[in-house]
Amino acid sequence: MTDEDTNTDDVRTDGSGIVAPDDETPTWRERKERTEGLSRLTYEYFERARREDQDLRQESDYVERDVLAFPTWPHEIIRNLAIASFFVGMLLFLSATLPPHIGAPANPSSTPAIILPDWYLYWSFGLLKLGPLNPELSILGGQKLMADRTYGVLANLVVVGIVAIVPFLNKGSARRPVEQPFWAAVGVGGVIFAFTISVYSAKNLIPMNVDLLFDLTFLLPIVGGFVTWAVLKTMREGYMYDLNRRYYRLRPPK
Amino acid sequence: MADEFIKGLGIFTGAGLAWMVLAGWYRTSSFESSQQLVEPVSLSDSATMFDTLGVLLMDVFFWFAIIGALTFWVGIPAVRQAREALEERVQ
Repeated sequence: MTDEDTNTDDVRTDGSGIVAPDDETPTWRERKERTEGLSRLTYEYFERARREDQDLRQESDYVERDVLAFPTWPHEIIRNLAIASFFVGMLLFLSATLPPHIGAPANPSSTPAIILPDWYLYWSFGLLKLGPLNPELSILGGQKLMADRTYGVLANLVVVGIVAIVPFLNKGSARRPVEQPFWAAVGVGGVIFAFTISVYSAKNLIPMNVDLLFDLTFLLPIVGGFVTWAVLKTMREGYMYDLNRRYYRLRPPK
Repeated sequence: MADEFIKGLGIFTGAGLAWMVLAGWYRTSSFESSQQLVEPVSLSDSATMFDTLGVLLMDVFFWFAIIGALTFWVGIPAVRQAREALEERVQ
């Protein structure tokens, strides 16, 4: 038998010698079949590769993912095909049953009554209408430092800049809003502001005094953020309390 | 509970889709109007039996979407809760 191989801990991964798997020792017939020619070469090659793989797995802290996931085929492919079929079918159904009317061609010589971008750009369009925030500086004799349209473009740059910085910030290990009530409140305020500034961009969307609407555009995010902060702050005590209780139940303090 | 939810959701979305299509046929003069799907029913003089059936089914689907979803989301859970409460009271 291969006493030397089983007794020594060091593994020969250079392909010299036939290394049997731990739990299956080859029979003498199998050994003889692999002792010469191409069969030996092939066996040694694959056995070496298998043994290297086994050693790498044993030495590393690599987690076996095979038992935790499913192969792409058929599980994920079937699922994706089902989802794609559903949406394609829905597109076909809706386009067959409710074909949209094709309107008259646009008249380039007349300005439409309502000018609005696509809905997902309403926030940017609203930021262009921040004229009332553009301060009239008394040092300039009551004049504005820049035109209202320049001010709106600058507001866009500021907002887009803040959003663009986010991926480069170290956001810590918190994964739940309760763990960071303040930043969660900032996020909620930002979402509400995106909504209110969108509503403000189409000034006649809500039948309301435009000045009041303008004030609400900036007050509602603050109010919403504060409410979020208060709720999360209250929740966090209960949350931490539950965590501590569970922790100490698992590991009673000495 | 999850079963009841998906039943209600299936009814709501399925019947709602059917109602939306029929209302788009019979209660929408233009997709650029501000009164889509809720205009008064307009049947032309050349309306066939199928058009009349469609108008009838439109109301059927509408109320099926609402009552069906309410049944599974509110009615059945409420009955179960009441039954559990009654059994606890008996014990």
